[in-house]
Amino acid sequence: MSIINYVNKEVQFKIVYYGPALCGKTTNLTYIHSHVADASKGDLVSLATAADRTLFFDFLPLNAVAIQGFKTRFQLYTVPGQVVYNATRQLVLRSIDGVVFVADSQWDKMQENVESFHNLRDNLALQGMDLSQIPYVLQYNKRDIPRSAPIHYLEYILNNQPVRVPSFESVATTGDGVFATLNAVSRLLLAKLVRESEEAADASKARAATPVVATPLVIASAQPNGNQS
Amino acid sequence: MNPTPIPPTTAPDVPDGTNNLPSPAERLQSLLADFLDKSQATFSLVIDRGGSILCQQGSLSGSVDNSILAALAAGSFAATKELAARLGEPEFNTLHHQGKHANILVNTVDDDAVLMTVFGPETTVGLVKFYAVSTVSSLAVLLKEARTSSDSQVAISKSDLDTVGNIFPQ
Repeated sequence: MSIINYVNKEVQFKIVYYGPALCGKTTNLTYIHSHVADASKGDLVSLATAADRTLFFDFLPLNAVAIQGFKTRFQLYTVPGQVVYNATRQLVLRSIDGVVFVADSQWDKMQENVESFHNLRDNLALQGMDLSQIPYVLQYNKRDIPRSAPIHYLEYILNNQPVRVPSFESVATTGDGVFATLNAVSRLLLAKLVRESEEAADASKARAATPVVATPLVIASAQPNGNQS
Repeated sequence: MNPTPIPPTTAPDVPDGTNNLPSPAERLQSLLADFLDKSQATFSLVIDRGGSILCQQGSLSGSVDNSILAALAAGSFAATKELAARLGEPEFNTLHHQGKHANILVNTVDDDAVLMTVFGPETTVGLVKFYAVSTVSSLAVLLKEARTSSDSQVAISKSDLDTVGNIFPQ
């Protein structure tokens, strides 16, 4: 659920870019950071190893539209993709609102894609969350690589469900598909906020419309013999 | 002779929502302002454990992005919680980062929030810790109220969303 800054009247959404090691999560954030207007972005913070591999997370805060007096702020995180950093991934998933699952289109990465996707489900479950209840999109990255896996195969292994989630082809190094992915997940989050807002308003109206029914007062009549009816 | 009673000039507070009690957000700010005043600290942030800002008070010199501070503090606190777990502790409820000119103290507020305080050499960690303890217990009560307050509900409809084009134009 989105977090509201009570003082600034600002709705904050946390989006996590998840996926196997070296699939392009950080590259997505780097591209976004370099192509968003200065007024709408904060610094890109990377907690990385000396070899530039994500150690804890990357973080990029973005300001977006104001709706009905509420400012919206999207906070983009990545997780470290390497298998060994699972405890760190669990920490980053705390209070998550939306997910971009970045899959690597190279044929020899299919198993890692599937394992990472299952790892996402498992880590969410540890926090009592279900991926099907969270707005998420799929991004099939590295589409420029020759002989990459066909889209229908990626859809089969990652999006094979009754209601398919939006999916996007991308080349994060050149920016192809990067903003389409970000806009799609952001719009899903705003749509969820609208649903929650309307449900809260309906519930409030229902409470107001419910007539107050006096609880019948039952008074036990005392009988002369001391019994009560 | 008894004086004639003077009628009240203002209506008494009644529980019908028409009184002028400060909102939970205003009380949160007032509580943090009082904390900064007493502890002589510079700046405080109440942060959701996922890294989002719930409220803030005070200011820092230079152009510091509060959301980055919040994300890093929440991450740091979460990491030490894992350390604590390895030592059989549920969590370390206070975290102190000591620098030459700036210090950071992070305290647990409740299961969902922490208080981050920045202070300089004009005060001491003992004083800040002392006032932080009572502040976090009051914060926990106020946050519980703020989470359910109508002030913190967003009232937007589908038609509002329809007017929004690309959220992030390239």
